[in-house]
Amino acid sequence: MSNRDYLGEFEHIVLLAVLRLNEQAYGVTVRREIETRTRREVSIGAIYATLDRLEAKGYVQSRSGDPTPERGGRSKRFFRVTAQGVSAVNRTRRALRSLTEGLDLVRSRSS
Amino acid sequence: MRHATPRPRPPRFGAWLVSLFGSSQQAESILGDLAEEFSDIASKSGVASARRWHWRQSLKTIAYLAGSSFRTAPWSLAGVVLLGFLLRRFDFQLPERIIVAILRAQRPYSNLHYGVYVWLVTYGIPIVGIIQMILIGCIVAAFAKGREIVATTTLSIVSPFAFLLHFLLVGGQWSNSIFIFPSRFLIIQVENLVGLVIGGVFVHELRSVVGRRFSSTSPWWANK
Repeated sequence: MSNRDYLGEFEHIVLLAVLRLNEQAYGVTVRREIETRTRREVSIGAIYATLDRLEAKGYVQSRSGDPTPERGGRSKRFFRVTAQGVSAVNRTRRALRSLTEGLDLVRSRSS
Repeated sequence: MRHATPRPRPPRFGAWLVSLFGSSQQAESILGDLAEEFSDIASKSGVASARRWHWRQSLKTIAYLAGSSFRTAPWSLAGVVLLGFLLRRFDFQLPERIIVAILRAQRPYSNLHYGVYVWLVTYGIPIVGIIQMILIGCIVAAFAKGREIVATTTLSIVSPFAFLLHFLLVGGQWSNSIFIFPSRFLIIQVENLVGLVIGGVFVHELRSVVGRRFSSTSPWWANK
């Protein structure tokens, strides 16, 4: 994987949500965290499609938890961000900061 | 005597559809998450609202899983669809040939009852056609591991357009019949679609059962 790879918008959001949730990051909590903080409705499918892609890139790792009755006897899949994932978040943030630096976004929006 | 209220269950059909479009590991976690949120919504807003939410999420999830299959493995998916297309081209008129061979072998006017002859001519070809499509669906699904339904559905959607294009550009012995009997062409395509998807579902379910039986991480009752 090239160290020049930047995260897509939703990949960035999902990685940040997983980082915020620390050890408690699984589909339901990641979805709720994103909905609460971004006020954007997301589906479980979108979360898993993105997390699977991030796992394939080596940015997150997953492990299975224990099955619970409220989940119909199915286990949770917990995610955690790898060191590579943290680097990708930092790289993307730096790139965004560099691009937005010096821009008068308030004036640009109103004109 | 008081009985405990049974826990509301998410729509089974919706959950089954989601399980078809993902690997067993994906299905395990996604269906678990859907069930957990379903229980939560059912306790707060009622079962009807939870069911609506579950269906909406299931359909969105299916769309994402199908899209994800195309994005993550476009070439392998294109390869198995092409394989299915070639298998279909290999003997397009096999059902007709089988029925004609049966009728010839039985010498219809002497040995076979007239009713059986009429039944074979009327329904035999579509039935053999569906069986042929189920077998092709099984072969395609066997090569499309984890993407059985996406591969067979794609094949069944792409095939009619490819056949139509082929007949329009190249022609062929069936080209006129498409325009003379468009309803028959449509019926055959729907029959093909159903047969291919049944083949895909069969292989997917077989893999799930075998996977559950030999998996040490997921217990056998996990998907009940």
